[in-house]
Amino acid sequence: MSAIAPRPPEIVMRLARLGAAHPTRLSFLRALIRGATRERWRLRRARFALDDAGFGHAVYTVETPGHAYSLVAFSTPLADERRTDRVIAEAWDASFVLYDGAPDADEIARLQANAPLQEAGRFTARELVLARANKSVRLFEAVVAALAKGEQPDGAALAEVGYLLRTTAVYGNGKFGIADRDEFAGRPELAGPFRAEMLTVWLIRAFSFDLVDHVAARRSPGAARLAPELRRSLGVGNATGLGMAPFLVRHPVLIHRWFAARETALARVRGLAEADEAEAFARSLAVFRAGVEAWRTQDARQAAAIVALKADLAGLAEAAPQILRGPLPWDALYRFAEARLSLEGQEACVALMLEPHGALIDDLADEMQADETLGQGLDGRVTCAAMRQILAHRYGWAAETDFADPAANARFWYVSADKLEPRLGERFEEAGAELEQPLAVARDALGLAAALAEAPEAQPLADFLLRHPQWRHVARRAQTLDRCAYAEIRDNLIGAEMRPIDILRAKLAFFGARRFDPRSDRWLRIALFADEPPIETICSGEAA
Amino acid sequence: MIALSLNEAETLCAKAARGAGYCWGQADDIGRAARALAAEGSDFGAALLVLLQTRESFIAPTPERLARWRAGGPDIAGVGALCPVLAATWLTDAGLDAVGLRLINIGAPVWLDALLRPAGLGAACDDPFAAGDATLIRRPGPFETGKRAAVEAEIWRALNAYAAQTYVPESESSRRRGAGGGRVDDD
Repeated sequence: MSAIAPRPPEIVMRLARLGAAHPTRLSFLRALIRGATRERWRLRRARFALDDAGFGHAVYTVETPGHAYSLVAFSTPLADERRTDRVIAEAWDASFVLYDGAPDADEIARLQANAPLQEAGRFTARELVLARANKSVRLFEAVVAALAKGEQPDGAALAEVGYLLRTTAVYGNGKFGIADRDEFAGRPELAGPFRAEMLTVWLIRAFSFDLVDHVAARRSPGAARLAPELRRSLGVGNATGLGMAPFLVRHPVLIHRWFAARETALARVRGLAEADEAEAFARSLAVFRAGVEAWRTQDARQAAAIVALKADLAGLAEAAPQILRGPLPWDALYRFAEARLSLEGQEACVALMLEPHGALIDDLADEMQADETLGQGLDGRVTCAAMRQILAHRYGWAAETDFADPAANARFWYVSADKLEPRLGERFEEAGAELEQPLAVARDALGLAAALAEAPEAQPLADFLLRHPQWRHVARRAQTLDRCAYAEIRDNLIGAEMRPIDILRAKLAFFGARRFDPRSDRWLRIALFADEPPIETICSGEAA
Repeated sequence: MIALSLNEAETLCAKAARGAGYCWGQADDIGRAARALAAEGSDFGAALLVLLQTRESFIAPTPERLARWRAGGPDIAGVGALCPVLAATWLTDAGLDAVGLRLINIGAPVWLDALLRPAGLGAACDDPFAAGDATLIRRPGPFETGKRAAVEAEIWRALNAYAAQTYVPESESSRRRGAGGGRVDDD
């Protein structure tokens, strides 16, 4: 194996490339599936108390070597006019908690009184995740109707939507009183980032299949059950909006770990002397191309990117066999992609190169969580001059932007009073810029550098920050970044042209999402677990 | 009492501190310190309310006092109660192992104690909520975690009122554009 350096952050951490990210085998839901398979988790449908119309509750219990976890699902009637994916909704078709253990009747009753209320309910440390979902109006009834007639639903219609239920929020880490992540992060089965959230969504997928089977069976004694290949193709939809974007900026150490793992994996594969997995690569590429054919979006920009991606993949399929016979074959293939393909194509190539190399890289999935207390320290013993050097070294890229230009400073991130959700405002057109959230990293790094230039060079940073505490978070961040190359998105996050969905897509790709479908520059639709094995087949205990 | 997760306690306190006028970096530190207090079963909410209600009367340490702290004391009195946030963050930033240093007339010393934890230090005083003298002591971690936080409903409401000062009221334009616009859910 030759030593190939990981791609540097100035290549990796740009918005345009983040906005072209694809899931890889290191993505969180893939790591979950591998863990469940390896540890032989067992799924049990412990309770399924739904009426003829599919309303009621159900409990799915997963037994892992260490602990049992239960999805407690509540399905409730919802008038069509109340069904919205926006976070402002107050009622949903279904609500869920991931419960620590197996709930008894009293616990189910407690959850029944709270889970459907979501943010307006109160929860305890027994609940690890809180979520809700709406039915796909287009698909749900069509699937039930077909099954009730003893037929399978139209595969094309299924592919068009991609899911039966779509979550509109999946809350973890202490929200609304649920368990702090610290409480269970030490358990091996939930140790990876967002592992509990991914398990919840995987179980919601099982519930969505059981729900259509159940309603169809109650409608007609001769009803069919949803066919295994259709189950496999369907995921759980998700509407993801601005709320998720600040997460990446607020968790620089964690984000560094995610990108460092992926880039280390890529470097390992590029360093291989022989392409032993060339055939497996070709198979993955064929599967991927079929998936891209089924990728639907009405967003003109994404649609154009998909067209380019299709051409890229055709070119990759043609060139790969020859390239992979040469020296340092995977490195050569990556360099081919870098030279010839669109960003979508390049990042797809990265995912495809990682795919057949599990034995070489899967250990990296265990390194994607972070001790975020690392980002809390601040060394005030350094001088102002030394701090300026750190800033110049790590934020040189920020100087490319002239923040005196109104277009560079056009937006501000804020939290809305009505819904307590992150929003993006127009600084020169809307009120509230004085309440800006500290997400304008590039501008603020330059601001701190300028302020330090006015201070005595030998002054300790501690003394400077005592007089100028408004720079405290910026100094701390810069020192953190000094140890974490991939901690920072190296673009202006408040520019007039910035597209929040680029940030969202990068995060969702790490989750393992596919079929990115932008609905504006600020929110998008995805499917999780589409084309992945259903949990009931991986954890085949007495599962329904 | 309202039971909260530690993360809720931390988030609420950081927002409330910001809403009351502390800078972002200070608010982050106050949130983490509040989490530590909550994990120990202390009344973090009452402590924060005292801090936020009295903070405007607090003074920053003068260069002369900093020089004395660096030298290990003795401290000199200022013209009012010392801000515990400025004192504690400076002491931790400067990396001073100032065990035994006695600070004169420091406001809400519970915050000096809590904010010094990451440095393995704490503060001993007569009344953690009232301004008075406090002596720096060693408090090696790790600190107890895994407990839930609890806060009185009235204090919870008061802290939320401070936190609300970080929020931007919706306008017609922000409602239209802020969250994303685009097509509504029709699938």
